[in-house]
Amino acid sequence: MAAIVFYLATVVNYFFIYNILAWGLNIQFGYAGILDFTYITFMAVGAYVAGVTSLGPQQPGTGVVYILGWHLPFPIPILLGGLAAAVLGLIVGLLAINRLRSDYLAIVTLSVGIILYSLVGNLTGLFDGFDGLVGVPEPLNGQVHLGVNTYSIFYMAVSGAVMLLLWFFAQRLRASPLGRTMRAIREDVDVAEAFGKNTFRIRLSAMVIGCFYAGVGGALLIGFVGAFSPDGWSTQETFIIWAILLIGGRGNNWGSVVGSFLVIALLSEATRYLPTIPNNAFLEPALRNIVIGAGLIVVLRFRPQGILPERKAHFPEIRTAAAQAGDPGRD
Amino acid sequence: MTDAPILEVENVARHFGGLKAVDGCSFSLQPGMLAALIGPNGAGKTTLVNLVAGALPLHAGRIRFQGTDISGWSPHRIAAQGLVRTFQISREWPRLTVLENLLVAAPGQQGERIWNALLRPGLGRADDRRLVAEALDTLDTFGLYAMRNEYAVTLSGGQKRLLELARAVMSHPRMLLLDEPMAGVNPALTDQLAHHIEALRQGGITFLLVEHNLEFVERSCDHVVVMALGRTLATGLMADLRQNPEVVGAYLGGESVERVAG
Amino acid sequence: MTIFWLSVGFGLVTASVLALASVGLSLQFGVTNYVNFAYGAFLTLGAYFAWTVLTGGHLPLGLAIVIGALGVGVVGVLCDRIVFRSFTRSGFPLFYLLIVSFGVSLILGNVVQGVWGPSPQFFAVVSQFPLHIGPFLLTPAQLVIIGVAIVSMVGVHLLLTRTRLGKAMRAMSDNPALAQVSGIDINRVTTWAWFISGSLAGLAGIALAISTASFEPGFGENFLFTIFAAVIVGGIGQPYGAMLGAFLIGMVTEVSAAFIDPSYSTDLAFVVLIVMLLLRPQGLIPARGKA
Repeated sequence: MAAIVFYLATVVNYFFIYNILAWGLNIQFGYAGILDFTYITFMAVGAYVAGVTSLGPQQPGTGVVYILGWHLPFPIPILLGGLAAAVLGLIVGLLAINRLRSDYLAIVTLSVGIILYSLVGNLTGLFDGFDGLVGVPEPLNGQVHLGVNTYSIFYMAVSGAVMLLLWFFAQRLRASPLGRTMRAIREDVDVAEAFGKNTFRIRLSAMVIGCFYAGVGGALLIGFVGAFSPDGWSTQETFIIWAILLIGGRGNNWGSVVGSFLVIALLSEATRYLPTIPNNAFLEPALRNIVIGAGLIVVLRFRPQGILPERKAHFPEIRTAAAQAGDPGRD
Repeated sequence: MTDAPILEVENVARHFGGLKAVDGCSFSLQPGMLAALIGPNGAGKTTLVNLVAGALPLHAGRIRFQGTDISGWSPHRIAAQGLVRTFQISREWPRLTVLENLLVAAPGQQGERIWNALLRPGLGRADDRRLVAEALDTLDTFGLYAMRNEYAVTLSGGQKRLLELARAVMSHPRMLLLDEPMAGVNPALTDQLAHHIEALRQGGITFLLVEHNLEFVERSCDHVVVMALGRTLATGLMADLRQNPEVVGAYLGGESVERVAG
Repeated sequence: MTIFWLSVGFGLVTASVLALASVGLSLQFGVTNYVNFAYGAFLTLGAYFAWTVLTGGHLPLGLAIVIGALGVGVVGVLCDRIVFRSFTRSGFPLFYLLIVSFGVSLILGNVVQGVWGPSPQFFAVVSQFPLHIGPFLLTPAQLVIIGVAIVSMVGVHLLLTRTRLGKAMRAMSDNPALAQVSGIDINRVTTWAWFISGSLAGLAGIALAISTASFEPGFGENFLFTIFAAVIVGGIGQPYGAMLGAFLIGMVTEVSAAFIDPSYSTDLAFVVLIVMLLLRPQGLIPARGKA
């Protein structure tokens, strides 16, 4: 019984975290049209910074080395993780946004990810290199003292609360004039510029906000798992977030919820029904990724806007007195 | 017409590799003018529009708008001054509704500031109440009211032309720079667009239109700038320009006038 | 000084591998006008194809290289025919193709993982004695890589300048709309572009596997960034720019390894890329028709 509870709580925690990650990418791409192909790097930065600001000083003898070594109370490490990712997003955005066409941005973001991967791996003093951080304390468990199973349920409430807060702001941004202008920039950046919109600044803000979401998602992840290493942020991981966003429906935050539900169900459940193939342990994870890749291509081909397409905006229509005197329904 | 000019273009030049697209173009426009920019294909008209709007950097010369030197400014800064351009082909924001296309165009929205958008949504909503009313009136004027909640991509070619103009009006311009607003539209719609432009001019907006429809230019425009080979060839009234041998030679004479005017 | 010349020699080898890969990527980009993010997986496939033919089929190395390269050419054509073309034909915007090629990369990479497993493999030719050629110290295999790259570059040059196919490719790259109305068989040229691009990727993958001693699934994807750096530095969509970019990036990464920790040599390529993007974003040889 306890095992099932733990398993379900784990899946739900991942579901919450993937929602947050998908919303951040939605703000970047679904709202503002930015092709960020290294989104997972920003999640990693959030995870690392949350890790080193909650781990406390290095323990001699463990061989795990890292910077800062602060021991800050919840939720400050999560906030710092989000902010660190946002700062990195600002730097990448300053370098790459506005420079020629969108595939350049894709290439540059991809390159930044690979370089940071190599730097974090090789500069072992930063975040313990390729071995990664381990033993990151569970947020608040110093106060609540719960067992493994109960804690995972408690953590579900923590990540759920953070998720709801971020949902609130993502929806608020979407409904705002800024969100509307972001979507105009996504549709045609030159025309938005011609109408007096500072498209560089607005796209930069979408980039930074999206990276903040990624960083918070990463911080929640390291708090739940307790460890994080470069293995956790390959290009494939970025693709999984993209798949969630595009299968679910870009521009629509509910779509991301559907997308992360489907992808998590696939990642954690579906392959269990495959027949076991002897002598090939690599086949199962490989097949899973192949199914995600092929699934995304098929959805994009036959349902290009995703399962839940972006919804039309409607406004309460208050006409001026002059128009009401005339015939407001006139064509 | 002795006011300070609203737009001054002085010896402006722009080349692409070896091609001198605009090569020493100068003219100035008075406030309230309905001016046309005409010239044969390849004369550099669209390049000039892009230069004035800041979409392309200048290689030489200067441009002043309402006395302010705007040479080298970014397009959004120029637009914010009230000098707004449209594009040669209709470029609506396809997956925004017709109403949203107009709302985005409105200048100076408080809800476009990031902290207002996230923390003070009331400011944006208050703006929107005013802007929605204005946009619906504008759509009404341009005969697009019924389409207000459709995605702009679903409009017909003629409706997209009207949307371009309606959206430009929504940006409260002092001067509009229209690149072939009547390209590819039927005669009935041409009259409709001409009527709208005339009405807006009455409302105080200065116009510079790139236009091939010489009949319309002669009938409606009170100032014409003729470009050929990247230079201004002549300026003045259409009726006078028809007598100018240089203009006739470069552009108006013979079959080309039949083709473009017919 | 010896170390310097030694690293220049390695630079030539890396530049050769990069040139093969960058020119292939550029050719396809020029014709189709979208970046293929599955290109790294193409390199991986080339190495595994050739290795399988060599160790499983007991065929000579030369033949294994040719079969491996052409095999990836066929994979390229299949990817285009089965996946990409169904998107381009229906007029999907650019970003769909980028994402789809990302998806193809995931699929191919995991096919390799599933079929060949994750453990590293190596070509037996690696352990040869190096020879002194002038100031350089190069193994016969490395010399073959440089030779293959030179022959391929000359071949690409002749293709682009002397053949109808090559001229059609350049026309499509410079002005797709004009090419379409001037009677070029766009479908045929696109298919050839994918075949040649894939074959060059396959060759590059084999060369990379031989020059880096061992290879594993994902090694081509990891190299993709260096290819991008070379292509962007040279001017995207420009095969000659790609050659120049490959030479520069190859030299920078290898010669720098004589002076700094080699783990950072690819990071240096990235610095070159950033500087290029800031100073000359259109690349050393800007392409017409691409902005």
